[in-house]
Amino acid sequence: MSRMHEQLATLLGPAAAGADAEFAKVLADRSHLPVVFPGLPRRLGRNHLGGGRTRVGDATIDLDAFRPCDLAAADLLIRCEASDDELFDLYQHGDIEERTMLLRALHVLPVGPITVRMFGEAQRTNMLVHVEAALCDGDLFARTVGQPGFEPDVANRVLLKLAFLDLPLARCLFAERHANPGLSTMLQDLATEREAAGRAVWRDTWRMIGLAPTAGSAARLVGGLEHGDDGVRAAAAEGLLALGRKDLFAFAEERLPREPRADIRAILQRCLA
Amino acid sequence: MLIFEPHIHMFSRITDDYERLALAGVRGVLEPAFWLGQNRTSVGTFVDYFETLIGWERHRAQQFGIHHFCTMGLNPREANDDRVNKDVLAILPRYCEKDSCVGVGEIGLDDQTKTEEKFMAEQLELAKRHDLPVLVHTPHRDKKKGFERCIAIVKEQNFPMQKLLLDHGNEETIKITRDLGCWSGFSIYPNTKMDPARMVAIVLEYGVERFVINSAADWGVSDPMMVPRTVVKLEQAGVPRSKIEQLVWKNPIGFFAQSGRISEQMLQQPARANLRETFDGNSVLRGQDPDRV
Repeated sequence: MSRMHEQLATLLGPAAAGADAEFAKVLADRSHLPVVFPGLPRRLGRNHLGGGRTRVGDATIDLDAFRPCDLAAADLLIRCEASDDELFDLYQHGDIEERTMLLRALHVLPVGPITVRMFGEAQRTNMLVHVEAALCDGDLFARTVGQPGFEPDVANRVLLKLAFLDLPLARCLFAERHANPGLSTMLQDLATEREAAGRAVWRDTWRMIGLAPTAGSAARLVGGLEHGDDGVRAAAAEGLLALGRKDLFAFAEERLPREPRADIRAILQRCLA
Repeated sequence: MLIFEPHIHMFSRITDDYERLALAGVRGVLEPAFWLGQNRTSVGTFVDYFETLIGWERHRAQQFGIHHFCTMGLNPREANDDRVNKDVLAILPRYCEKDSCVGVGEIGLDDQTKTEEKFMAEQLELAKRHDLPVLVHTPHRDKKKGFERCIAIVKEQNFPMQKLLLDHGNEETIKITRDLGCWSGFSIYPNTKMDPARMVAIVLEYGVERFVINSAADWGVSDPMMVPRTVVKLEQAGVPRSKIEQLVWKNPIGFFAQSGRISEQMLQQPARANLRETFDGNSVLRGQDPDRV
């Protein structure tokens, strides 16, 4: 834990002294945890740290999306060995900012039953900032898959939240490793539903179904190559490349001379290589 | 002209009120925790109410571009209720630290009982511990005596006068408070309390230094548009625009800015109204198309 504290202190930089002061208040009186917690953004800062991806303990997080208060919250909760009940209490009685902070802090805390429980909360809410805080800009989702209570079917439903809220798959680090036919079926069903309603479909659908195809995936991928949206065509080309079915590459060959985007042409050429 | 409404109970109001307030230039509102018209029977209902003030109500205001702040406290009426008073005091510290909480209030006296005095004093101490200003509700019955007693309690507690807002004042109370160094609030009502014409007379006589005006609109006969209405009356009476702006914008923000959690700069832009975003899955839209609202 002390190594983790040192690492977090380094990342916090000048805010580390402030984090120590907040910890001292809780150390002096444990009942102060819910009183100290809401003030962290005001006292330690809520501007993004910046610096790109970094490893913190077992976690990979993107510092471009994390703030001093998020890391200070993690540091505080680790150092005072907050119990799962205390963590849930902070979430339950927290305002939007506190809940965001707690979900961000989870990325650095040890993965366990509280992580699974909080993913359940994030899945039920429609607060974009909370879904982002739990699922995006770190590998928390990928590290939680397989935990008791977070079996593939549960994890699929959590990941589906990205599609519902149109959050890019790339922000949920290593989530593509979780591709599975069950998830592809869910994504395709959602896509059909959205198309019937005349609504946009999550572009990463094409990317994910190529990694774990199910009935209908091949047709959707081929159709995606002719889509009017650049993002969908790029994802479909990547999906087709991942699928690796040589019998479908003729469609990539047919598309190649008509594809206006250089980056998509490059993917199509990789299919044909 | 931008307006900050420093005392309004939006919990009791409808979305049309938010829309009208926004159209009249109200950029921010302060909602003091208060009595809901009947006493609550357990502390849990206070928890839910306080969390509405920092949660759903903030979201609702934001949907109309209005920044929502609150003060937290045990109101004087329920301070008399032994079913809840001690327990509410015990949970208040965590709510006093919430980002949108910019003061302790409304506390004070109503029936002017000893119990009310005890809890008012305890909450002044609470405000000191959290370095927050205090919004004091003054009694509607036997007001002058109530004002004097509130001031005496504040002095007994050594609470700094510049962090004190004595609300629901009138022509009589201003004579007591104007030289104390505290702030004076005037609630403009359709029938009772103050009205716009009387408020104009007070401004013409005393100026606007450390004065704020509010509608104190709630679940009773009241009008959330009373601050904009009074602005019109003040303009018609020839009060300089800079003075009116000080009264309805700079003063209320300045008073609550003593919390360190609100500033004019924060309110320069309207709150981000994203009608597609929900709060815990709930929206104000009731099925309407966000693009047409």
